[in-house]
Amino acid sequence: MTAMRGTVQSHTVIRVPDKAHAAMAPFVLLLVELANGKRVLGHFHGALPPAIGSRVIADASGQETPVFREETP
Amino acid sequence: MSTNVCVAGVGSTKFGVLPGRNLQSLAAEAARAALADSNIPPARIGCVFVGNFVGGIMTGQELLGPIVAADLGLSNVAAIKIEAACASSSAAARIGHDLIRAGAEDAVLVIGVERLTGTPRDALTTAMTAAIDQGTEGVAGLTFPAFWGMVMTRHMHLYGTTREQVAAVTVKNRKFGVGNPLAQFQKPVTPDEVLASPPISDPIRRYDCCPATDGAAALVLTNETLAKLYGSPAVRVAASVLLTGSARITDYDEITTHDGTVSAAIRAYEIAGVGPEDIDVAELHDCFSVAEIVDSEDLGFFAKGEGGPAVAGAPSARKVVINPSGGLLSKGHPTGATGCGQIYEVVMQLRGRHPNQVPNARLGLTHNGGGTAAAVTVHILKAL
Repeated sequence: MTAMRGTVQSHTVIRVPDKAHAAMAPFVLLLVELANGKRVLGHFHGALPPAIGSRVIADASGQETPVFREETP
Repeated sequence: MSTNVCVAGVGSTKFGVLPGRNLQSLAAEAARAALADSNIPPARIGCVFVGNFVGGIMTGQELLGPIVAADLGLSNVAAIKIEAACASSSAAARIGHDLIRAGAEDAVLVIGVERLTGTPRDALTTAMTAAIDQGTEGVAGLTFPAFWGMVMTRHMHLYGTTREQVAAVTVKNRKFGVGNPLAQFQKPVTPDEVLASPPISDPIRRYDCCPATDGAAALVLTNETLAKLYGSPAVRVAASVLLTGSARITDYDEITTHDGTVSAAIRAYEIAGVGPEDIDVAELHDCFSVAEIVDSEDLGFFAKGEGGPAVAGAPSARKVVINPSGGLLSKGHPTGATGCGQIYEVVMQLRGRHPNQVPNARLGLTHNGGGTAAAVTVHILKAL
Protein backbone atom coordinates (compact mmCIF):
# COMPACT_ATOMS: atom_id res chain seq x y z
CA MET A 1 0.00 0.00 0.00
CA THR A 2 1.42 3.39 -1.09
CA ALA A 3 0.95 6.36 1.19
CA MET A 4 0.40 9.89 -0.09
CA ARG A 5 1.93 12.46 2.28
CA GLY A 6 1.63 16.23 2.11
CA THR A 7 0.97 19.60 3.69
CA VAL A 8 -2.39 21.40 3.81
CA GLN A 9 -2.34 24.51 1.59
CA SER A 10 -5.97 25.43 2.16
CA HIS A 11 -9.34 24.02 3.11
CA THR A 12 -13.09 24.56 3.00
CA VAL A 13 -16.20 22.82 4.28
CA ILE A 14 -18.64 22.39 1.40
CA ARG A 15 -22.19 22.85 2.70
CA VAL A 16 -23.92 23.43 -0.65
CA PRO A 17 -22.57 20.71 -2.97
CA ASP A 18 -23.21 19.87 -6.61
CA LYS A 19 -25.68 17.05 -7.33
CA ALA A 20 -23.05 14.30 -7.46
CA HIS A 21 -21.86 15.07 -3.90
CA ALA A 22 -25.24 15.84 -2.32
CA ALA A 23 -25.19 12.74 -0.07
CA MET A 24 -21.74 13.63 1.36
CA ALA A 25 -22.45 17.23 2.45
CA PRO A 26 -21.26 18.86 4.54
CA PHE A 27 -17.72 17.63 3.81
CA VAL A 28 -14.16 18.92 4.08
CA LEU A 29 -12.21 19.59 0.87
CA LEU A 30 -8.44 20.01 1.20
CA LEU A 31 -5.80 21.41 -1.17
CA VAL A 32 -2.67 19.44 -0.35
CA GLU A 33 0.91 19.92 -1.55
CA LEU A 34 2.61 16.55 -1.83
CA ALA A 35 6.28 15.92 -1.08
CA ASN A 36 7.12 16.07 -4.82
CA GLY A 37 5.54 19.55 -5.11
CA LYS A 38 2.42 18.27 -6.90
CA ARG A 39 -0.95 19.58 -5.65
CA VAL A 40 -4.03 17.41 -5.14
CA LEU A 41 -7.58 17.89 -3.91
CA GLY A 42 -8.64 15.48 -1.21
CA HIS A 43 -11.36 14.67 1.25
CA PHE A 44 -10.74 14.32 5.01
CA HIS A 45 -11.57 11.93 7.84
CA GLY A 46 -13.27 14.46 10.12
CA ALA A 47 -15.86 17.21 10.18
CA LEU A 48 -13.43 20.08 10.89
CA PRO A 49 -10.50 20.78 8.55
CA PRO A 50 -6.89 20.62 9.75
CA ALA A 51 -5.03 23.97 9.91
CA ILE A 52 -3.00 25.25 6.95
CA GLY A 53 0.48 23.75 7.25
CA SER A 54 -0.74 20.51 8.90
CA ARG A 55 0.86 17.27 7.70
CA VAL A 56 -1.68 14.85 6.25
CA ILE A 57 -1.52 11.32 4.87
CA ALA A 58 -3.77 9.22 2.62
CA ASP A 59 -3.79 5.77 1.10
CA ALA A 60 -2.85 6.51 -2.53
CA SER A 61 -4.38 3.39 -4.03
CA GLY A 62 -7.96 2.90 -5.08
CA GLN A 63 -10.11 6.00 -4.74
CA GLU A 64 -10.47 8.67 -7.42
CA THR A 65 -10.12 11.33 -4.68
CA PRO A 66 -7.69 10.64 -1.80
CA VAL A 67 -9.09 10.74 1.72
CA PHE A 68 -6.56 12.30 4.10
CA ARG A 69 -6.14 12.08 7.84
CA GLU A 70 -3.78 14.04 10.07
CA GLU A 71 -0.36 12.46 10.26
CA THR A 72 0.58 11.70 13.84
CA PRO A 73 4.17 12.72 14.52
CA MET B 1 -0.49 51.61 -38.66
CA SER B 2 -3.29 49.48 -37.31
CA THR B 3 -6.81 50.80 -36.93
CA ASN B 4 -8.12 52.37 -33.73
CA VAL B 5 -11.07 50.41 -32.36
CA CYS B 6 -13.93 51.97 -30.43
CA VAL B 7 -17.11 51.04 -28.65
CA ALA B 8 -19.56 52.96 -30.83
CA GLY B 9 -22.65 52.03 -28.85
CA VAL B 10 -23.85 50.00 -25.87
CA GLY B 11 -27.12 48.47 -24.74
CA SER B 12 -28.36 46.42 -21.82
CA THR B 13 -31.43 44.81 -20.39
CA LYS B 14 -32.16 45.07 -16.70
CA PHE B 15 -30.13 42.46 -14.77
CA GLY B 16 -32.21 40.35 -12.38
CA VAL B 17 -34.89 37.70 -12.19
CA LEU B 18 -36.67 38.01 -15.53
CA PRO B 19 -39.28 35.26 -15.77
CA GLY B 20 -40.84 34.63 -19.17
CA ARG B 21 -37.85 35.96 -21.11
CA ASN B 22 -35.83 33.59 -23.28
CA LEU B 23 -32.24 34.00 -24.47
CA GLN B 24 -33.33 35.22 -27.90
CA SER B 25 -35.54 38.02 -26.60
CA LEU B 26 -32.97 39.21 -24.04
CA ALA B 27 -30.18 39.21 -26.63
CA ALA B 28 -32.32 41.07 -29.17
CA GLU B 29 -33.36 43.74 -26.66
CA ALA B 30 -29.75 44.52 -25.69
CA ALA B 31 -28.54 44.38 -29.31
CA ARG B 32 -31.26 46.72 -30.62
CA ALA B 33 -30.45 49.19 -27.85
CA ALA B 34 -26.72 49.07 -28.70
CA LEU B 35 -27.36 49.54 -32.43
CA ALA B 36 -29.68 52.50 -31.78
CA ASP B 37 -27.18 54.01 -29.32
CA SER B 38 -24.32 53.70 -31.84
CA ASN B 39 -26.24 55.26 -34.74
CA ILE B 40 -24.45 52.71 -36.98
CA PRO B 41 -26.79 51.29 -39.66
CA PRO B 42 -27.36 47.54 -38.99
CA ALA B 43 -26.35 46.82 -42.60
CA ARG B 44 -22.76 47.83 -41.71
CA ILE B 45 -22.45 44.95 -39.20
CA GLY B 46 -20.26 42.16 -40.56
CA CYS B 47 -20.10 39.81 -37.57
CA VAL B 48 -22.32 38.91 -34.63
CA PHE B 49 -20.62 37.23 -31.67
CA VAL B 50 -22.85 35.95 -28.90
CA GLY B 51 -21.12 35.29 -25.58
CA ASN B 52 -23.01 32.65 -23.61
CA PHE B 53 -21.93 30.08 -21.02
CA VAL B 54 -24.68 27.58 -20.14
CA GLY B 55 -27.54 28.29 -22.57
CA GLY B 56 -27.45 24.70 -23.75
CA ILE B 57 -27.45 23.19 -20.25
CA MET B 58 -29.97 25.58 -18.68
CA THR B 59 -32.43 26.17 -21.53
CA GLY B 60 -31.64 23.59 -24.22
CA GLN B 61 -31.01 26.40 -26.74
CA GLU B 62 -27.89 26.48 -28.91
CA LEU B 63 -26.91 28.08 -32.25
CA LEU B 64 -27.52 31.50 -30.73
CA GLY B 65 -25.39 33.30 -33.35
CA PRO B 66 -27.54 32.70 -36.44
CA ILE B 67 -30.83 32.74 -34.47
CA VAL B 68 -30.16 36.10 -32.81
CA ALA B 69 -28.80 37.58 -36.08
CA ALA B 70 -32.01 36.51 -37.84
CA ASP B 71 -34.16 38.04 -35.09
CA LEU B 72 -32.28 41.31 -35.61
CA GLY B 73 -32.88 41.19 -39.37
CA LEU B 74 -29.17 40.80 -40.09
CA SER B 75 -28.41 38.62 -43.10
CA ASN B 76 -25.12 37.59 -44.72
CA VAL B 77 -23.20 38.02 -41.49
CA ALA B 78 -20.78 35.70 -39.69
CA ALA B 79 -22.63 34.82 -36.49
CA ILE B 80 -21.43 32.41 -33.83
CA LYS B 81 -21.60 31.75 -30.10
CA ILE B 82 -18.40 32.14 -28.07
CA GLU B 83 -17.91 30.34 -24.76
CA ALA B 84 -15.32 31.12 -22.09
CA ALA B 85 -17.52 30.42 -19.02
CA CYS B 86 -18.13 33.67 -17.08
CA ALA B 87 -15.82 35.58 -19.45
CA SER B 88 -17.72 34.56 -22.61
CA SER B 89 -18.85 37.98 -23.84
CA SER B 90 -15.65 39.86 -23.02
CA ALA B 91 -13.76 37.11 -24.87
CA ALA B 92 -16.15 37.74 -27.78
CA ALA B 93 -15.34 41.46 -27.55
CA ARG B 94 -11.63 40.68 -27.80
CA ILE B 95 -12.18 38.70 -31.01
CA GLY B 96 -14.35 41.46 -32.49
CA HIS B 97 -11.72 44.01 -31.50
CA ASP B 98 -8.99 42.05 -33.28
CA LEU B 99 -10.99 41.74 -36.52
CA ILE B 100 -11.56 45.50 -36.63
CA ARG B 101 -7.99 46.31 -35.66
CA ALA B 102 -6.72 44.09 -38.46
CA GLY B 103 -9.04 45.80 -40.94
CA ALA B 104 -10.97 42.58 -41.66
CA GLU B 105 -14.27 44.08 -40.42
CA ASP B 106 -15.62 47.61 -40.00
CA ALA B 107 -18.33 46.88 -37.45
CA VAL B 108 -18.98 43.93 -35.14
CA LEU B 109 -21.97 43.37 -32.85
CA VAL B 110 -21.00 41.66 -29.59
CA ILE B 111 -23.79 40.36 -27.36
CA GLY B 112 -23.61 38.62 -23.99
CA VAL B 113 -26.69 36.76 -22.75
CA GLU B 114 -27.65 34.31 -20.00
CA ARG B 115 -30.65 32.84 -18.20
CA LEU B 116 -29.90 31.35 -14.79
CA THR B 117 -32.97 31.81 -12.59
CA GLY B 118 -35.97 29.59 -12.04
CA THR B 119 -33.86 26.44 -11.60
CA PRO B 120 -33.26 24.47 -8.35
CA ARG B 121 -29.99 25.46 -6.66
CA ASP B 122 -28.25 22.09 -7.09
CA ALA B 123 -28.98 22.15 -10.84
CA LEU B 124 -27.52 25.67 -11.05
CA THR B 125 -24.43 24.59 -9.04
CA THR B 126 -24.00 21.63 -11.39
CA ALA B 127 -24.30 23.87 -14.47
CA MET B 128 -21.73 26.34 -13.10
CA THR B 129 -19.28 23.52 -12.34
CA ALA B 130 -19.19 22.76 -16.07
CA ALA B 131 -16.33 25.31 -15.98
CA ILE B 132 -14.37 23.10 -13.57
CA ASP B 133 -12.26 20.29 -15.06
CA GLN B 134 -14.63 17.38 -14.43
CA GLY B 135 -11.93 14.79 -15.10
CA THR B 136 -9.76 15.89 -12.17
CA GLU B 137 -11.48 18.32 -9.81
CA GLY B 138 -15.21 17.99 -10.40
CA VAL B 139 -14.96 14.40 -9.15
CA ALA B 140 -13.61 15.68 -5.80
CA GLY B 141 -16.66 17.94 -5.43
CA LEU B 142 -14.97 21.29 -6.15
CA THR B 143 -17.50 24.06 -6.74
CA PHE B 144 -16.87 27.79 -7.29
CA PRO B 145 -17.81 28.74 -3.72
CA ALA B 146 -15.38 25.99 -2.61
CA PHE B 147 -12.60 27.37 -4.86
CA TRP B 148 -13.08 30.89 -3.50
CA GLY B 149 -13.54 29.52 0.04
CA MET B 150 -10.06 27.99 -0.18
CA VAL B 151 -8.66 31.20 -1.70
CA MET B 152 -10.21 33.20 1.16
CA THR B 153 -8.95 30.82 3.87
CA ARG B 154 -5.41 31.10 2.52
CA HIS B 155 -5.56 34.87 1.89
CA MET B 156 -6.58 35.35 5.53
CA HIS B 157 -3.78 33.01 6.64
CA LEU B 158 -1.01 34.62 4.53
CA TYR B 159 -1.96 38.29 4.74
CA GLY B 160 -4.07 38.63 7.87
CA THR B 161 -7.10 39.66 5.81
CA THR B 162 -10.08 39.71 8.17
CA ARG B 163 -13.61 38.38 7.82
CA GLU B 164 -14.87 41.95 8.35
CA GLN B 165 -12.70 43.33 5.51
CA VAL B 166 -14.13 40.72 3.13
CA ALA B 167 -17.68 41.58 4.24
CA ALA B 168 -16.90 45.25 3.50
CA VAL B 169 -16.77 44.36 -0.23
CA THR B 170 -20.39 43.18 -0.20
CA VAL B 171 -21.50 46.17 1.89
CA LYS B 172 -19.78 48.62 -0.53
CA ASN B 173 -21.10 46.98 -3.71
CA ARG B 174 -24.65 46.65 -2.34
CA LYS B 175 -24.54 50.37 -1.55
CA PHE B 176 -23.52 51.11 -5.17
CA GLY B 177 -26.34 48.83 -6.36
CA VAL B 178 -28.92 51.07 -4.71
CA GLY B 179 -28.07 53.77 -7.27
CA ASN B 180 -27.95 51.58 -10.38
CA PRO B 181 -31.38 51.00 -11.97
CA LEU B 182 -29.98 47.98 -13.90
CA ALA B 183 -28.88 46.22 -10.69
CA GLN B 184 -30.55 43.05 -9.38
CA PHE B 185 -30.08 44.08 -5.72
CA GLN B 186 -31.00 47.68 -4.95
CA LYS B 187 -31.06 47.29 -1.19
CA PRO B 188 -28.09 47.86 1.14
CA VAL B 189 -26.86 45.20 3.59
CA THR B 190 -25.03 45.63 6.90
CA PRO B 191 -21.78 43.86 7.83
CA ASP B 192 -23.74 41.90 10.47
CA GLU B 193 -26.20 40.66 7.85
CA VAL B 194 -23.29 39.39 5.70
CA LEU B 195 -21.72 37.59 8.68
CA ALA B 196 -25.06 36.06 9.75
CA SER B 197 -26.07 34.82 6.28
CA PRO B 198 -26.10 31.01 5.77
CA PRO B 199 -22.73 29.29 5.18
CA ILE B 200 -22.17 27.98 1.63
CA SER B 201 -18.55 26.78 1.56
CA ASP B 202 -16.52 27.95 4.57
CA PRO B 203 -15.74 30.76 5.11
CA ILE B 204 -17.97 31.90 2.19
CA ARG B 205 -21.52 32.83 3.20
CA ARG B 206 -24.51 33.58 1.03
CA TYR B 207 -23.94 37.37 0.98
CA ASP B 208 -20.35 36.74 -0.13
CA CYS B 209 -21.76 35.21 -3.34
CA CYS B 210 -23.10 36.94 -6.43
CA PRO B 211 -26.68 35.98 -7.27
CA ALA B 212 -28.04 33.93 -10.17
CA THR B 213 -29.11 36.46 -12.77
CA ASP B 214 -30.87 36.74 -16.12
CA GLY B 215 -29.85 39.45 -18.54
CA ALA B 216 -28.10 40.60 -21.69
CA ALA B 217 -25.75 43.41 -22.70
CA ALA B 218 -24.39 44.36 -26.12
CA LEU B 219 -21.69 46.46 -27.76
CA VAL B 220 -21.22 47.80 -31.28
CA LEU B 221 -17.48 47.79 -32.00
CA THR B 222 -16.26 49.77 -35.01
CA ASN B 223 -13.19 51.51 -36.34
CA GLU B 224 -13.03 55.17 -35.35
CA THR B 225 -13.55 56.37 -38.93
CA LEU B 226 -16.96 54.71 -39.11
CA ALA B 227 -17.91 55.99 -35.63
CA LYS B 228 -17.00 59.53 -36.70
CA LEU B 229 -18.97 59.20 -39.96
CA TYR B 230 -22.15 58.27 -38.08
CA GLY B 231 -21.60 60.53 -35.07
CA SER B 232 -21.44 57.65 -32.58
CA PRO B 233 -20.88 58.49 -28.88
CA ALA B 234 -17.63 56.51 -29.11
CA VAL B 235 -15.14 55.45 -26.46
CA ARG B 236 -11.71 54.14 -27.53
CA VAL B 237 -10.63 50.57 -26.78
CA ALA B 238 -7.06 51.27 -25.64
CA ALA B 239 -6.37 47.59 -24.90
CA SER B 240 -8.25 44.32 -25.30
CA VAL B 241 -6.55 41.27 -23.82
CA LEU B 242 -7.66 37.65 -23.38
CA LEU B 243 -5.23 35.24 -21.72
CA THR B 244 -5.29 31.88 -20.02
CA GLY B 245 -4.46 31.43 -16.35
CA SER B 246 -4.32 28.30 -14.20
CA ALA B 247 -7.14 26.05 -15.42
CA ARG B 248 -7.25 23.95 -12.24
CA ILE B 249 -6.91 24.86 -8.57
CA THR B 250 -4.07 22.31 -8.39
CA ASP B 251 -2.21 24.11 -11.22
CA TYR B 252 -1.70 27.25 -9.12
CA ASP B 253 1.70 27.96 -7.58
CA GLU B 254 -0.19 30.12 -5.09
CA ILE B 255 -4.01 30.24 -5.10
CA THR B 256 -4.17 33.79 -3.69
CA THR B 257 -2.41 35.23 -6.76
CA HIS B 258 -4.20 34.67 -10.04
CA ASP B 259 -1.60 34.41 -12.76
CA GLY B 260 -4.16 34.96 -15.56
CA THR B 261 -5.24 38.28 -14.07
CA VAL B 262 -1.66 39.39 -13.40
CA SER B 263 -0.49 38.63 -16.96
CA ALA B 264 -3.59 40.04 -18.67
CA ALA B 265 -3.29 43.27 -16.67
CA ILE B 266 0.42 43.69 -17.37
CA ARG B 267 -0.15 43.17 -21.08
CA ALA B 268 -3.15 45.55 -21.17
CA TYR B 269 -1.29 48.34 -19.36
CA GLU B 270 1.63 47.90 -21.77
CA ILE B 271 -0.60 48.07 -24.88
CA ALA B 272 -2.49 51.12 -23.58
CA GLY B 273 0.69 52.82 -22.37
CA VAL B 274 -0.80 53.44 -18.90
CA GLY B 275 -0.45 51.99 -15.41
CA PRO B 276 -2.86 51.05 -12.63
CA GLU B 277 -2.30 54.50 -11.08
CA ASP B 278 -3.92 56.11 -14.15
CA ILE B 279 -7.22 54.20 -13.96
CA ASP B 280 -10.19 56.27 -12.75
CA VAL B 281 -12.82 53.53 -12.65
CA ALA B 282 -12.72 49.72 -12.74
CA GLU B 283 -15.39 47.07 -13.08
CA LEU B 284 -13.75 43.86 -11.90
CA HIS B 285 -14.91 40.28 -11.45
CA ASP B 286 -16.31 40.16 -7.88
CA CYS B 287 -18.13 36.83 -8.30
CA PHE B 288 -17.44 36.42 -4.56
CA SER B 289 -16.61 39.21 -2.11
CA VAL B 290 -13.05 37.95 -1.58
CA ALA B 291 -12.52 37.92 -5.35
CA GLU B 292 -12.64 41.72 -5.44
CA ILE B 293 -9.78 41.84 -2.91
CA VAL B 294 -7.66 39.31 -4.84
CA ASP B 295 -8.42 40.94 -8.21
CA SER B 296 -7.74 44.49 -6.99
CA GLU B 297 -4.28 43.29 -5.91
CA ASP B 298 -3.58 41.25 -9.05
CA LEU B 299 -4.61 44.18 -11.29
CA GLY B 300 -1.95 46.29 -9.55
CA PHE B 301 -4.29 48.65 -7.68
CA PHE B 302 -2.94 47.49 -4.31
CA ALA B 303 0.06 45.49 -3.14
CA LYS B 304 -0.57 41.87 -2.15
CA GLY B 305 -2.33 41.83 1.21
CA GLU B 306 -3.44 45.48 1.00
CA GLY B 307 -6.71 44.78 -0.82
CA GLY B 308 -8.57 43.95 2.40
CA PRO B 309 -7.51 47.07 4.35
CA ALA B 310 -8.14 49.24 1.24
CA VAL B 311 -11.78 48.16 0.84
CA ALA B 312 -12.30 48.61 4.58
CA GLY B 313 -11.23 52.26 4.24
CA ALA B 314 -7.45 52.34 4.76
CA PRO B 315 -5.85 55.34 3.00
CA SER B 316 -4.48 54.50 -0.46
CA ALA B 317 -2.50 56.33 -3.13
CA ARG B 318 -4.87 54.97 -5.79
CA LYS B 319 -7.73 57.05 -7.17
CA VAL B 320 -9.56 54.11 -8.76
CA VAL B 321 -13.22 53.59 -7.85
CA ILE B 322 -14.00 49.87 -7.95
CA ASN B 323 -17.33 48.43 -9.12
CA PRO B 324 -19.52 51.55 -8.97
CA SER B 325 -22.14 49.54 -10.91
CA GLY B 326 -22.60 47.39 -7.82
CA GLY B 327 -20.43 44.69 -9.39
CA LEU B 328 -21.44 41.08 -9.82
CA LEU B 329 -22.38 41.00 -6.13
CA SER B 330 -25.12 43.59 -6.53
CA LYS B 331 -25.73 44.30 -10.22
CA GLY B 332 -25.81 40.53 -10.71
CA HIS B 333 -23.93 37.90 -12.70
CA PRO B 334 -25.69 36.64 -15.83
CA THR B 335 -22.43 34.76 -16.53
CA GLY B 336 -22.19 34.99 -20.34
CA ALA B 337 -23.50 38.58 -20.30
CA THR B 338 -21.28 39.92 -17.52
CA GLY B 339 -18.28 40.93 -19.67
CA CYS B 340 -20.37 43.10 -22.01
CA GLY B 341 -22.26 44.41 -18.96
CA GLN B 342 -18.99 45.61 -17.40
CA ILE B 343 -17.96 47.36 -20.63
CA TYR B 344 -21.44 48.95 -20.80
CA GLU B 345 -20.92 50.35 -17.28
CA VAL B 346 -17.45 51.75 -17.98
CA VAL B 347 -18.56 53.29 -21.30
CA MET B 348 -21.34 55.12 -19.43
CA GLN B 349 -18.78 56.36 -16.89
CA LEU B 350 -16.48 57.66 -19.65
CA ARG B 351 -19.42 59.44 -21.31
CA GLY B 352 -20.17 61.07 -17.95
CA ARG B 353 -23.66 59.55 -17.93
CA HIS B 354 -23.51 56.90 -15.22
CA PRO B 355 -26.05 56.97 -12.35
CA ASN B 356 -23.11 56.46 -9.93
CA GLN B 357 -20.81 58.81 -11.86
CA VAL B 358 -17.12 58.88 -10.92
CA PRO B 359 -16.13 62.57 -11.30
CA ASN B 360 -13.95 63.25 -14.38
CA ALA B 361 -13.59 59.60 -15.33
CA ARG B 362 -11.35 59.48 -18.43
CA LEU B 363 -9.77 56.04 -18.24
CA GLY B 364 -11.58 52.83 -17.25
CA LEU B 365 -10.74 49.15 -16.91
CA THR B 366 -12.83 45.99 -17.00
CA HIS B 367 -11.68 42.59 -15.71
CA ASN B 368 -13.68 39.43 -16.35
CA GLY B 369 -12.72 35.87 -15.43
CA GLY B 370 -13.94 32.45 -16.53
CA GLY B 371 -13.53 29.26 -14.50
CA THR B 372 -10.77 29.30 -11.86
CA ALA B 373 -9.57 32.60 -13.45
CA ALA B 374 -8.58 30.25 -16.29
CA ALA B 375 -9.81 32.59 -19.07
CA VAL B 376 -9.21 36.23 -18.19
CA THR B 377 -9.94 39.41 -20.12
CA VAL B 378 -8.79 42.92 -19.34
CA HIS B 379 -10.11 45.87 -21.37
CA ILE B 380 -8.86 49.43 -21.00
CA LEU B 381 -11.25 52.08 -22.32
CA LYS B 382 -10.51 55.74 -22.89
CA ALA B 383 -12.81 58.74 -23.25
CA LEU B 384 -12.39 60.50 -26.63
